[in-house]
Order: sequence, then C-alpha cells, then structure tokens
Amino acid sequence: MAKKTYDLLFKLLLIGDSGVGKTCLLFRFSDDAFNTTFISTIGIDFKIKTVELGGKKIKLQIWDTAGQERFHTITTSYYRGAMGIMLVYDITNAKTFDNISKWLRNIDEHANEDVEKMILGNKCDIEDKRQVPKQRGESIAREHGIPFLETSAKSNVNVEKAFMDLAQAILNKTPSKDADGHNKAVDIHKSESKGRCC
Amino acid sequence: MESSRDNHIKLQMRERESDYTNLQPYRIFCGTWNVNGQQASEAINEWLCPAEDSEPPDIYAIGFQELDLSKNAYIFSESVREEDWYKRIKEALHPKAKYKKVVKLVRLVGMMLVVFIRKGLELEIYDVMSGTVGTGIMGVMGNKGGVAVRFGLRDSTLCFVNSHLAAHTVEFERPHTDFKDINSRMLFGNRTISDHELVPCFFFFFSSENSLLFCSIVIWLGDLNYRLSDIDNDACKKLISDGRLQELMKYDQLVRQISQKNVFLDYLEGKISFIPTYKYDPGTDTWDTSEKCRTPAWCDRILWRGSNVGQLCYRSHMACKLSDHKPVSSIFESGIKVIDRAKQRQVYEDVMKQLDKWENEFLPQVEVSTMEIKFKDIKFIEQKKEILVVSNTGQVPVQFEFIPKPSDTNFCEPWLSVEPSKAVISVGAKCEVHLSVYVNKDTGPSLNSGKARIEDILVLHLDGGKDLFITVSGNYIPSSFSSSIETLVRMFKPVTDVETGSLIEIVSASTSLQHLILTIDQASSPNPSEDPPLDIPKEIWRLVDHLYKYGMEQDELFRQPGLHSEIQLIRDCLDQGKPRLLPGSVHSVAEALLLFLEVLPEPVVPYEHYDLCLHVCDNFTQAKQVLQRLPTSHRNVFKYICAFLRELLKHSASNFLDARFLGELHLNGHQSSRTAHQTRADHRSSLLCDAF
Repeated sequence: MAKKTYDLLFKLLLIGDSGVGKTCLLFRFSDDAFNTTFISTIGIDFKIKTVELGGKKIKLQIWDTAGQERFHTITTSYYRGAMGIMLVYDITNAKTFDNISKWLRNIDEHANEDVEKMILGNKCDIEDKRQVPKQRGESIAREHGIPFLETSAKSNVNVEKAFMDLAQAILNKTPSKDADGHNKAVDIHKSESKGRCC
Repeated sequence: MESSRDNHIKLQMRERESDYTNLQPYRIFCGTWNVNGQQASEAINEWLCPAEDSEPPDIYAIGFQELDLSKNAYIFSESVREEDWYKRIKEALHPKAKYKKVVKLVRLVGMMLVVFIRKGLELEIYDVMSGTVGTGIMGVMGNKGGVAVRFGLRDSTLCFVNSHLAAHTVEFERPHTDFKDINSRMLFGNRTISDHELVPCFFFFFSSENSLLFCSIVIWLGDLNYRLSDIDNDACKKLISDGRLQELMKYDQLVRQISQKNVFLDYLEGKISFIPTYKYDPGTDTWDTSEKCRTPAWCDRILWRGSNVGQLCYRSHMACKLSDHKPVSSIFESGIKVIDRAKQRQVYEDVMKQLDKWENEFLPQVEVSTMEIKFKDIKFIEQKKEILVVSNTGQVPVQFEFIPKPSDTNFCEPWLSVEPSKAVISVGAKCEVHLSVYVNKDTGPSLNSGKARIEDILVLHLDGGKDLFITVSGNYIPSSFSSSIETLVRMFKPVTDVETGSLIEIVSASTSLQHLILTIDQASSPNPSEDPPLDIPKEIWRLVDHLYKYGMEQDELFRQPGLHSEIQLIRDCLDQGKPRLLPGSVHSVAEALLLFLEVLPEPVVPYEHYDLCLHVCDNFTQAKQVLQRLPTSHRNVFKYICAFLRELLKHSASNFLDARFLGELHLNGHQSSRTAHQTRADHRSSLLCDAF
C-alpha cells in the first residue's frame, strides 16, 4: 500500500532576459508571494511544487536561470534535462521581447527536441508602461506554434495557469504507465507527429 | 525522503480529519443470544423490536451462540437451524422500516452473525468482508471463537464481532486468550457480495490493514463467558433479589479484568442495569436448578471501541425464555464519518503545500561573501589571493563543489586555483575558499598578448540544490617575461609603457613577420616603413649586461638560487624600464635570465628546428648552416648568449664554471620541462655552443 507521493516528476525551466520577472513568477507560483526588491539571479536555482493533474500527482521541479547575457553559455547547458521551458519577456521592455527569437534559437540548439515551450509576457499589470502590444506576443507565439499568456507575478494573473498548462502539455504526451499497448501507441504517434511539425 | 513525506501526509490528513469530515448519526441495534441449541420455536420480537423501541434502527447486527450443538454443525456448513432462525429474525425486525441484509449470515459452527441495513442505505456500504476464527478444540475448532463482519459505511469502517469465548469459572484466563486470538487472527479478506453464502474459514491472512485495528468502530458482542468470582451462589442471588447489581458487578470477572487492562483494551461497556442473563432453567425465569446449580453470571455482553459512539440502551430480554441464557441487546447512535470531498481536497492541498514549502526550505542554501571576485594588478609569477566565504544559511548540511562548465573539463582557468574545491559545511557554519591567481609560462603568453584575459565564471554547485555563478576577473600587467622574442624586438619601450591595443598589434605583426621570415627570406625586411626591429630583446641585453658587468667573477654564479622577491623586482624593473640598475643580487639576476629564457613561448632554438639540430650537432659546418635558418632575432639571441657564455668561461678560475655545466644549464635549463627527446636536442645544441 506504500504509495509514492508523486506519480511523475516534471522538470521545467524559466528563461528570458534579465529582469523580466522569472524569479518572481516562480516565487508567486511556489510560495504565492511577491517581492518587489530586485535581486538578480546569479546562477541556477530551483523550487519544487506538487500539483495534481488528471488524477496524477506531479512534482514540478522548476529551475530558474540567470538572465544576464554573460552567463548564457553556462545556462544553456541546463536546457538539456528540461521537459518544459517557460520563455519570459517583459511587456514594458521591448528589448526583452526582441530577444525572444534569440531565446527560441537557444532552445532549438540546446534543449531536447520534444521540449514543451510556452511564451509569457510578464508584468501585464503595468499597462501604462506597456511597450509590447499583446498581439505581438500572440503572433510570435502563433508563428512558432507555442502557447502564449500574459502574466503578472505581482497581481497574480495567469501564473498558476501558465505552469499548469505547461505541465498539462507535458502530461499529454507522457505515455501513461497503466495504459494498455494501444493507448501507448497513440501517445507515441501523437508526439511524433508533433515533432515533425515543429 | 519520499516515504517520510508519505507518512507525513497520512498523519496530517488524519490529524486534520475533523476539518473535512462531518458526522452523520446512525442507529445501530446489536443483539446477542446463546440459544443453547434450541429450535427457533418462538418469536423473538421481544428481543429485536421491543415495544419501547419506537424508532427503527438503521443497522441490525445480531449474533447467536450455540445455534446448533449437533455434531453435523462441526462438519457441514449448512444447518437447518440457521435457516429457521434467519426467518425468525426477519420477522422480528422493526416494522417501521424495511431492511436488506448486508451479509446473509456468517456462521462458524454455533456462532452466527447476521447484519441488516435499512433499505435505501445499502448503497452507502461497500467492501463487505467477513471472517471467522476458531479457538475451540485444539485452539482452532469452531466450537468456540468468533465470527465477524466488516464493511465500509460512508467514510467509516464498521465491524461487528460475535464471539463465544471459552468458559470456566476458575479458569478465567481462557476468555482472554480467546479474545487475543480473535483479535490477532481476525483478518478480513473474504470479500463477499451480500447474496453469496460464505464458506467458513479459519484464517484470512491478508494485509494487516484489514485487521480489526483498522476499523473506525468495532462492536463486540457474544457469550463472552465471564463469570462471577469470589462469591457463592446464595450471596449472589441475594444481591440480585435485593437489586444490588452494582455491588454484584464487583465480582464480575470481565469488569475486573478490564479495569486491570488485561483484556478488551480500548473497549467500553455500558452500565449493566439488568440481572445476570445466565443460567436459567429453559422456558422459565428460574435460576438453574440442575445438579450443577450454576451461580448466575453476566455471560452475554456487548462492548464497543471507536469514537463517536453513544449507547442509547443496554438491556436483557426476560421474555425470551427458550434458552438457558437470556438475550441481550443494545442500541447505539454512532457518528458515521462523511467526508466533504471538496474540503478534504482543500486540506490535502494545504498539506501538500506545507510539505512543498518545507521541502523547499530544506533545500541546501548558502550565502557567499561576494558573487564577483576581482584580482588587482596581477603580475607574472606573482601569486594573488582572495577569499570567498561560503556560509551555510540553510537548514541542512551543504556539500558544495565547483563543477566544470559545459564545454570544459576543469572547473576553472589554468591561472586560477581554488582550495578547497569541494567541502561539506554544517548548518550555520562557514567555509573559506581560497582563490589564487598565478600566471606562469603556460598562461603568460596569451595574457601578455591580450588574447586571453583574467576572466572566469566558477559554477559553485550545491549537492541536491542550486548552482551559483561566481565571476572571477582581474587586470593582468603584461610582462616581457613570457613574451616572444619576435614581439620583444619590436617593442622599443618598456612593456608597461606600451598600450594594450598597440601591444596586440605588435604581437600580431611579429607573428606574421615571423611567418614571413621563416617562409620567404629571413634577411629581407618585409615592411620598410616600420622601424627596424632590435637585434635582441633589450631585456635579455639588460640581464646579460648586468651579469657581464657585476657577475663575471662571482663564485657559484648560476649555481646559487636567487630570491623570488628579488626576481619579481627585476621583472618590474625590466618591464618598467627603471631603475637603470637592476635590483637584487647577481644570483637573482642570473636566475631571472634563466627564467626569462625558460618562459619564452618559442624557445631560442624554435621547436621546429629541434630535429634538425639533433642531426647536425656533431658537425660544425652543418650546425652553422642550421643556425642560419633560425629567425634573425632568435639567431641573434643565440649568438649573444653563446658569446656571453664564452666570456663567462674565461673567468672560470674565479667563478668555477665549466662549459658543460653552462651549456646544460642554459640551453637545457630553459626548456627543462620539455620532453626528453627535446632535451636531448638541447643538450646537443650545447655542443654547438662549445663550437663557438
């Protein structure tokens, strides 16, 4: 009867320019809190959070990366183990949005081919300083076939949803252990066809 | 870690059960009767539904003992008696409600247990299981023992045990043993559907979670066979007739044993206000008049264990006369747990959240004294040290280790050393990590030329936790030491006066020039617009000149080591061009010269000419030809050094040097670390030197 406290372990990774709010998103999701003081992440940190999806207990291990340019060569080496990557920009800073394509290239180069991605436009609570219209975020996401959300770690907008959606996407293509062979085959097929279209 | 997490969740959920559980009252009727093998010849309404019970119970649990005393009952599972009694029970259930059987019945020889549930509530029960334990003949036969039915009702587990324990007035230990036996052996595995007949079994060894201990409510009824001790028959009957039942109760073995915690631990029994139910002359209310003339006793009892159980009544039924026992019944109102799923989920999520929080808090955490370490004014072969303090600010011991970056095999650049690179820090403690920069001949050339910089990022990895990036940087003061001859001959000013930008230009010019010289024509000047290069590096000239002026007569020259601190001053003096006089002793200058030659990125005799030198070293003419093929500046240095050595040998009377030693020292020494093959080449080139 000894039950494991979780059925699956998903590794997620937060990437994006320095100061876009990766750490704050993680802090909001894991601790349901927000801190206004900016402390640049110098390294790779992670937090865990257990969630329930589709009747399964899933332990999310969420890695937060240093956004500063000078660390990029190092941080990209952490992409490999990630099953989901959250690419974050700051809607009040156009430059962080311009860099999205650079980050996407980074993912292509360094992450697993079948990694689930998601683009987040963070700080959507600061509407009066917005530099990146929502449509631009949506269109770049559509272009790459990646889900997109605007979030606010500060006002707790879409944070939970973002992580849960990403976890769900990973779960969807995880072949279930107790499924019969037929189901498994379907799952594999699904992820294959997905791989091809990306 | 994970299993302790599991246990914690279970514990927390149990502790917070009341936060998400409501109690719903259920009325439970329990009855027990030792029928002494009598036929079901009379109605039993008086027992199961006496007139005062206006409200129909939700559950009936009815136990019989000595239902069938025939030998057949031991052998066959079928019994005619059982059918008859079952019919009687059905007729006697409360008329205000309809009932469905939970288990038709479970019987072990003479013990039978029947459980009914009010119609409409049957959907709320699940996992109906039953079990039997025989403790009779040979400790296992079913003449004594217990039968039990267990089932889930809403979110509680109910269990009814009907037992007939061993009897003997003087041997009251026996019922305890039987009780213990039933308790430990009653494991429910025989899952039944209510309509299916149960086959009596002795043992059910399934998981221990199915044992009696794991039921929320256990009601234990039956002929427990405890008697009255230390009182004679007459005194006993006198107390009964006087209505002094509480006084008589003091002699009851079960009451005594329970108070001594010998048996029925955690079980409760209500106050007995009825006279003993044993032993009567069958068909009467008369105490036993047989030969044995038994002392009356409360053999038939009902006890319970579990929370939220309230006993509404506990009584005997004198109207039922056909046995030598009177039946006993009790009505309970028990709170059956009904879990609020939404609330339970909320609590569960809270518990998980708390655990996640703890897990995060228990991740290794450190604070470092700085994320950026800056070394100031790093000089060639001069160690600079900095300290990084790593403090364990977390709640668990931390093991840290500097790990290589993705493309590297070493965790830091060769000019940097870190000690310790791995350590364990206990909670609240600190560890000093000593970082030192030391530029030697391997790392010097690229730093001198500006191709490399003092820049590195250390990845400080916490075992089972995060990684910290520690940036190491510093400024390197270029030196003539470890610069190439080609570069130095194009440097007209001291190294420190040359700006970094132009330094790189000089270096790249010198390398391309060198290339040209080697491939086209060593004599021609490829770029006439530039100042002609110096014949030899001025630093070599200064060192040799100094020795020529002050050291020719010096005993032990080149044999005695110099002082490291003086060599550093000499280096500064050469690089800064001042003071004019080199500081330190001649020994230090001599060693500085050796060092200067040793750390040349390209030796005086360049690598590519080694093999050739090897070939021709015994032949003076060929050796001279080979020498002609060296780049001009290298050839110049070679000649210059050789001339110097010749001068030194002239003074061998006072400095005690000989040609062999000098040759080996100079042209071996500066390449001491290279391969044996090359060393041999050097050795032979010392013969070249002799030839001059």
